[in-house]
Amino acid sequence: MLKVEINGQQFEAEPGSTIIEVADNAGIYIPRFCYHEKLSVAANCRMCLVEVERAPKPLPACATPVTDGMVVQTLSDIAKQAQADTMEFLLINHPLDCPICDQGGECPLQDQAMGFGGSSSVFEEVKRSVDNVDIGPLITTEMTRCIHCTRCVRFGEEVAGVMELGAIGRGEDMKISTFLGTSMDSEVSGNVIDLCPVGALTSKPYRFTARTWELNGHKGISPHDCLGSNLEIQEIGGVVKRVLPRDNEAVNECWLSDRDRYSYESVNSSDRLTMPLVRRGENYQEIEWAEALDLVSSKLMQIKETWSGKEIGAIASPTASLEEFFLLQKILRALGSSNVDHRLRQQDFRDDLAAPVCPGTDVSISKLQELDGVLIVGSNIRKELPLISLRLRRVAQQGGEIAVLNPMSFDHNFATTQEMIVKPSMMAIAFASIARKIAMATGKEDLLPIDLVELATRHEFGINVDAIANSLIRNGTDALILLGQIGMNHPDASTLRQITSWLGVNCGIRIAILPDANGVAGWVAGCVPHRLPGGHSNSSPGLNCKKMIDQRLKAYVLYGVEVSNDYSDPVALDTALNEAEFVVSFSTFRSAVPEQADVVLPLAAFTEIDAGYINCEGVAQFANAAVNPMGQSRPGWKILRVLGNFLKLAGFDHVSSKDIIAELEEVYDLSAPISVRYKPDLQAINHVVTQSAEVKNGKQLDRIIDVPVYSVDPTVRRATALQSTKDADTVALLACAEELEELGFKHGGQIAVRSETGEVMLPVQPDERVPRGAVYVPAGLSETSVLGSLSVVMVQAME
Amino acid sequence: MEIDYQLSDDVREKIEAEANKYPSRRAAVKSALRYAQQEHGWVSEGVVNAVAELLSLQSIQVFEVATFYDMFYTKPVGRHRIRVCTNVSCMLRGSTDVLNHLKEKLGVEVGETTADGKVALFEAECLGACGGAPMLICNNRYVENLTPEGVDQLLSELD
Amino acid sequence: MSVIKKFVNTWGLTELARGLGVTGRYFFKKKFTIQYPEEKTPKSPRFRGLHALRRYPNGEERCIGCKLCEAVCPALAITIDSEEREDGTRRTTRYDIDLFKCIYCGFCEEACPVDSIVLTDIDEYHFESGETGVVTKIDLLNLGDRYEAQIASARQQDSAYR
Repeated sequence: MLKVEINGQQFEAEPGSTIIEVADNAGIYIPRFCYHEKLSVAANCRMCLVEVERAPKPLPACATPVTDGMVVQTLSDIAKQAQADTMEFLLINHPLDCPICDQGGECPLQDQAMGFGGSSSVFEEVKRSVDNVDIGPLITTEMTRCIHCTRCVRFGEEVAGVMELGAIGRGEDMKISTFLGTSMDSEVSGNVIDLCPVGALTSKPYRFTARTWELNGHKGISPHDCLGSNLEIQEIGGVVKRVLPRDNEAVNECWLSDRDRYSYESVNSSDRLTMPLVRRGENYQEIEWAEALDLVSSKLMQIKETWSGKEIGAIASPTASLEEFFLLQKILRALGSSNVDHRLRQQDFRDDLAAPVCPGTDVSISKLQELDGVLIVGSNIRKELPLISLRLRRVAQQGGEIAVLNPMSFDHNFATTQEMIVKPSMMAIAFASIARKIAMATGKEDLLPIDLVELATRHEFGINVDAIANSLIRNGTDALILLGQIGMNHPDASTLRQITSWLGVNCGIRIAILPDANGVAGWVAGCVPHRLPGGHSNSSPGLNCKKMIDQRLKAYVLYGVEVSNDYSDPVALDTALNEAEFVVSFSTFRSAVPEQADVVLPLAAFTEIDAGYINCEGVAQFANAAVNPMGQSRPGWKILRVLGNFLKLAGFDHVSSKDIIAELEEVYDLSAPISVRYKPDLQAINHVVTQSAEVKNGKQLDRIIDVPVYSVDPTVRRATALQSTKDADTVALLACAEELEELGFKHGGQIAVRSETGEVMLPVQPDERVPRGAVYVPAGLSETSVLGSLSVVMVQAME
Repeated sequence: MEIDYQLSDDVREKIEAEANKYPSRRAAVKSALRYAQQEHGWVSEGVVNAVAELLSLQSIQVFEVATFYDMFYTKPVGRHRIRVCTNVSCMLRGSTDVLNHLKEKLGVEVGETTADGKVALFEAECLGACGGAPMLICNNRYVENLTPEGVDQLLSELD
Repeated sequence: MSVIKKFVNTWGLTELARGLGVTGRYFFKKKFTIQYPEEKTPKSPRFRGLHALRRYPNGEERCIGCKLCEAVCPALAITIDSEEREDGTRRTTRYDIDLFKCIYCGFCEEACPVDSIVLTDIDEYHFESGETGVVTKIDLLNLGDRYEAQIASARQQDSAYR
């Protein structure tokens, strides 16, 4: 430890730390623009100049390491003069348009000009002006305001892993721009808005709609992925104006993905449902709540009495809150049915009984970057969990090994050491081969289930398998196997989960089995057919969502589910709803209501509810309602609670959402760490052999099923800015050029993709990231919903 | 706009040799651009993309360097580049006359290329040859102690 | 002595004469009384009356929706909504002043960076019902258009002291 004196006070400092770090820890503020604790030191704004004893001139505090016995003055005349002079230079070319600048009121330049600047300038020359570049639908640029701190450039290069912004030109001509004025397409691009210390980069949807000082902030949690990023939801007069990150080192640090940042837009859309609706003939009619709930309860009771409670099924969106999951399953179970599920995109349920209380990660999120080896199985991690991907990027930067086993070579923002790309039907075999290699090398081959050995020997993959296995063995307990959404929704998902768990149990490798959105809460709250709340086993298990649909029940409760997008097999769901006697749809948006719904109950949006979320680490986080529900829409837990009263069920007397959590906590300790390992289950290891049907025209290929980043849930799908990004606008079939040639595809044509349930014509993009024998057809989109859930499709080139 | 550009094998080889000198491939950007410009005449978007791909960088990282140095031309220029020093020593020794003479003779302003694409005229900051002021640099050749006649002589030598 | 003086003062009606003297003097002096509403007193150029929103000579509204007036208003009488206009400029979609709340302190005018919101010298206005006490953006711009000459001249006169 070094001894440093700042402003006459003695501090201890780690060797190698800089003056600004020591001062920040001691609560002494030194003005800065380019310095940011999460970015590298650039020392180009010169605002943090301080006086250091025996140094001939003021030194930048951000770039000067402390030495033993250093004496620093941040408030001396020399330091103050240096800072004031720097400020004068910075303001030479900065426009005085604070009244119309969205940064006004939260602007470090404004604040520091007041605190550390002079009151006048000797420069009277004309200020420079810089042309703006259009960098996409999320960020507005006002480049005249730029002070060239290069935080945005360094963020792209160091944190996001895609350098989209750069400083071109030099001196007075220097400007921040993208290459050739292309748009910023990174999934975390919105963070440059927070980083920009002036108003050069501001949010486009928020532009000019509010001033910072009039906004009220509320604590929110993102419902879109299983990370549960902490949000600061800001509103005025009941209208959400913007969403910012809330610092939480254990979850999202100070970042936010664009999906979390901009999804609020749909909350204010005109597509919101504001009244309960009931179907009268062809049309829907607005009715009062009491009438609607009365109708729902009497219908459900009628079905229960005529047939049985087991003829009622409920499927919930994985973005629902803990309270909603809990009450939904409570109602269903009170009606005598355990047909309740939230795993909408999952196709393989064979390992349900072997499952732990909930899926999740074995290692805490904040420790992810300290790993030495990672194997990603079936995940486009960069789009699925953008902020986890940023942490994995740090693993790669620190020399860790990241291997990938995917059906397609997705673009990662980190360097991978091994990449194993196999077509979807080979995923389980490839993963089994890796497991077998690890088992052999560690002498645990006898422990490996014979079915897995059999699976592993079906195909020889070569050197890649050895490399991946060796890397995992080498890193031992500092290695992680991460099973993502593509793996979880794969027809062989049970096998993949079994292998992951086997490696976790027998080889000490950390594992992460990542659910969709708030899926952990779904499991914990008992919103699965085979488990009661708290993961307690259910003596009379119900039907999982696939079976519910396939068995054509009499009544369906759709909780925030949009038929053509949210369920893995939209065609089957549509047919089931057609044949059902009664369908009640809880929905936030009018356009998300299926046409078969008999009663529609308007749900409040995620910004309007007190809600609990459990992230993949098992940490329960609670969001506060930021605004009142729009119109007559109501928080889901209130609707369900009152519906319970209408159904005359016991135990629906909750006064607040806290009461529901308290009830859940009687059977489950929310603060307990989670275990994510599946029990061995030989039943679950059978490899699903893909059916090879007779093919008349075209060719049968494996379909890579992936939900694009901005199609994950109804809220995101209606956020207009996100929907105009590049990530959202491609509905195309991707296949490698060789495959296309074999299909006889000619440039500019379309391709017909057929399944048993339907056919769709898609534009084509040749893409070398897709392996032979497979095509990428995005799921979660209305355009491709007719294809159902089949993982094998018939593809034919059209003229 | 030219987006795709293929570097010749010769240039690729030279760039590889440069890249091997440094611990990171990014360090070779300047040399790479120099070779590419020698071949192509200027640094087009295509050249930037090609260099970026070769050095496993993003295009903007290469473009930053290309725009930083004013002897990388991001717009097409003449076959011969004349850069007249207008810094203090040369100015005192009559560089203004030399520059005006060149402008008149070539019929172009500073920063422009003659209509036949032969000569491009630029101003330069001090090139370290104050002893021979006024001076200019024509392509890679220093021409010192300039007079209007000397300039004519130089122009007549250019093909 | 004092007794005699007192006697004379009392019986000589000197106090009455003095009092009537004052009355008589003012009787013939120039009159102060203003015959309101036919006659009005002059007003200072700083007079703080009814509000108005001004325009530039080319007809463009001055207000840029910075909301500084809203922020500074001690009576919370101003309500503003803003958005980006088609030409990319920041403009208000709503600019309401509740005249029942307003205390005519003039802070809004002082805060305005573009001299848009001003207090005119109009002090004669009334409302026929409660809800008409809120003047909207259109009303304020109309007021500005109608009284621009007076507003401009008052600012001109006061400019030396600003």
